Amino acid sequence: MGGACSRKRDQPVNEDNLNRGVSGRYTKSGSSKWLGTSFSRSSMDASQGKRSCPSLMDLCIYKIRQDINKYSTFSMLPRDISQQIFDDLVCSQCLTDSVLEAFRDCALQDLNLGEYPGFSDNWMDVVSSQGSSLLSVDLSGSDVSDSGLIYLKDCKNLQALNFNYCDQISDKGLEQINGLSNLTTLSFKRNNLITAQGMSSLSGLINLVKLDLERCPRIHGGLVHLKGLSKLESVNVNCCNCITDADIRALSGLTSLKSLQIASSKVTDNGVAFLRDLKNLTLLNMEGCPVTAACLDSLTALGALLYLNLSRCNLTDDGCDKFSKLQSLKVLNLGFNEISGAMLVHIKGLTNLESLNLDSCRINDEGMVHLAGLSRLKCLELSDTEVGSSGLRHLSGLHNLESLNLSFTVVTDAGLRKLSGLTSLKSLNLDARQITDAGLAALTNLTGLMHLDLFGARITDSGTNYLRSFKNLRSLEICGGGLTDAGVKNIKDLTSLTLLNLSQNNHLTDRSLEWISGLIQLVSLNVSNSRVTSAGLQHLKSLKNLKSLTLESCKVTANDIKKLQSSDLPNLVSFRPE
Amino acid sequence: MKKEDTVKLISAEGFEFVIDKKAAMVSQTIRNMLTSPGSFAETEHGEVTFPEISTTILEKICQYFYWSLQYASGKETEFHIEPELTLELMMAANYLHT
Repeated sequence: MGGACSRKRDQPVNEDNLNRGVSGRYTKSGSSKWLGTSFSRSSMDASQGKRSCPSLMDLCIYKIRQDINKYSTFSMLPRDISQQIFDDLVCSQCLTDSVLEAFRDCALQDLNLGEYPGFSDNWMDVVSSQGSSLLSVDLSGSDVSDSGLIYLKDCKNLQALNFNYCDQISDKGLEQINGLSNLTTLSFKRNNLITAQGMSSLSGLINLVKLDLERCPRIHGGLVHLKGLSKLESVNVNCCNCITDADIRALSGLTSLKSLQIASSKVTDNGVAFLRDLKNLTLLNMEGCPVTAACLDSLTALGALLYLNLSRCNLTDDGCDKFSKLQSLKVLNLGFNEISGAMLVHIKGLTNLESLNLDSCRINDEGMVHLAGLSRLKCLELSDTEVGSSGLRHLSGLHNLESLNLSFTVVTDAGLRKLSGLTSLKSLNLDARQITDAGLAALTNLTGLMHLDLFGARITDSGTNYLRSFKNLRSLEICGGGLTDAGVKNIKDLTSLTLLNLSQNNHLTDRSLEWISGLIQLVSLNVSNSRVTSAGLQHLKSLKNLKSLTLESCKVTANDIKKLQSSDLPNLVSFRPE
Repeated sequence: MKKEDTVKLISAEGFEFVIDKKAAMVSQTIRNMLTSPGSFAETEHGEVTFPEISTTILEKICQYFYWSLQYASGKETEFHIEPELTLELMMAANYLHT
């Protein structure tokens, strides 16, 4: 009985969100920023629509989980089946010392045990028993130590290893894996013990494609051991403060490199010069490096560059003319630099740009004219700039724009009319005190909006009438203090909402919770600083998807919420007061 | 019941289960056999033999097919699985993509 194995092998190492801070959906309003990392996408979409029938396979797996102590071994099962049982037990956190024993010699391919509670070196023997079948192991966040890694020596076919946040692993541990020449992916984020000496063990990993050493503070001098790794495509040494120009020199011959992340390192313009020959480089992240526009001399040689992050660097207008040569760029982050609107003339010709971040730069209305021709732009970040209403008219032709952040700008209600034709917009941040109901009235064309942030805007009940146009809204924040229960009534039909923040509206009462009770897709709700009381909590019973509930400075205690959690809201994982 | 609306599933021991075609199609594997024209003899005869599935397991699988149809129509009951059958049933389910 075969049956092709249709199970997709999960990648144990999470793909880095390379556009983070560029696509920035929640960039400004601190209130919901954390959601980006805490909730995975899948959980946001969970249980929308009809529940599908569980497969017989699912039912069997569930049954095995219930009777798990009756099984002493699964080694007679085909590998793809035992793998599914294993994954289910990990997912449901039912794997224990004794249960793990049943998986000895099961020829499993993937052991995704990242963040798994209770993992220790004692488990490594069973890990090792998978032998040459084992392809990937994720032990991130575990207490696995150098002596535990000895067990991996014989798993010669291992392709991916993830030891992020494993603070017991040192140079000695790296020695144990230096013979695993089939490794393509290796990750050691936030390791305080690994030094240049240990990194010499990496020189034998000739098939390595992806190496992640983010937040390893002692690896200075170690990159030199990567010189012979001709297949290396991605190196991440973000937040390794020890990395200097000399380290970058060691990478200068790695022409296969496509992605290099050296954010928050000590690399200067001189170091960037060593990157000239990396003709395949498509992504370069230098956020927070002490580089100036002079580094552009070197970057212009990189014809394949698509993503460039220079935010929080030492850029000034001086020398920025070289930007015009970076024709291939799709994503450019220049946030938090001392650059002015005049500098944007050099960006004008970068017509492939899809994302531009100018957060907190000294951009004014005059400079905006240079953006008018960037017709492929999907994402534009102008938060904390001096851009005002007259500058917005240059955006009215950007019909591909999907995300626009105008928080903390000087844009007024009158200016928002210029945006009314941007019907591709999905995300709009208007977190600015001078925005009022009148501004919202000008936006009712934007029916595709999914994310609307009016955090500090002065929206009143009458303004909420305009919200009815935005049937697709997934997230909404109105925290300017001007709403009463009557305004919340206008929100009750926005049934696609998964995130709603109405905090700081101190007139809201339990009545508001009643209106909210129909928004059953809600994953996160914040009605802090209101007159909501514990008596109103009963209205939230219908919000079965709720994971986060914040009711600070209300007449609600942690105990009240805990009661609600245990009786009606099983998915609630985070609440305040706690 | 018209003959073309049913299929015959035959176990390793030769037991025959005549069930609705609609029920059998819950299995992706059987669906493919019955719907891909010309490629399987099963398409013509409406008969599928499973030399590796025992009678007990095949019966359980037929029960699942009907349970699944009920579930889809809104009747969400529990499907009982005997512990001693679980592993064998699982292998069959894997083969049948169900």
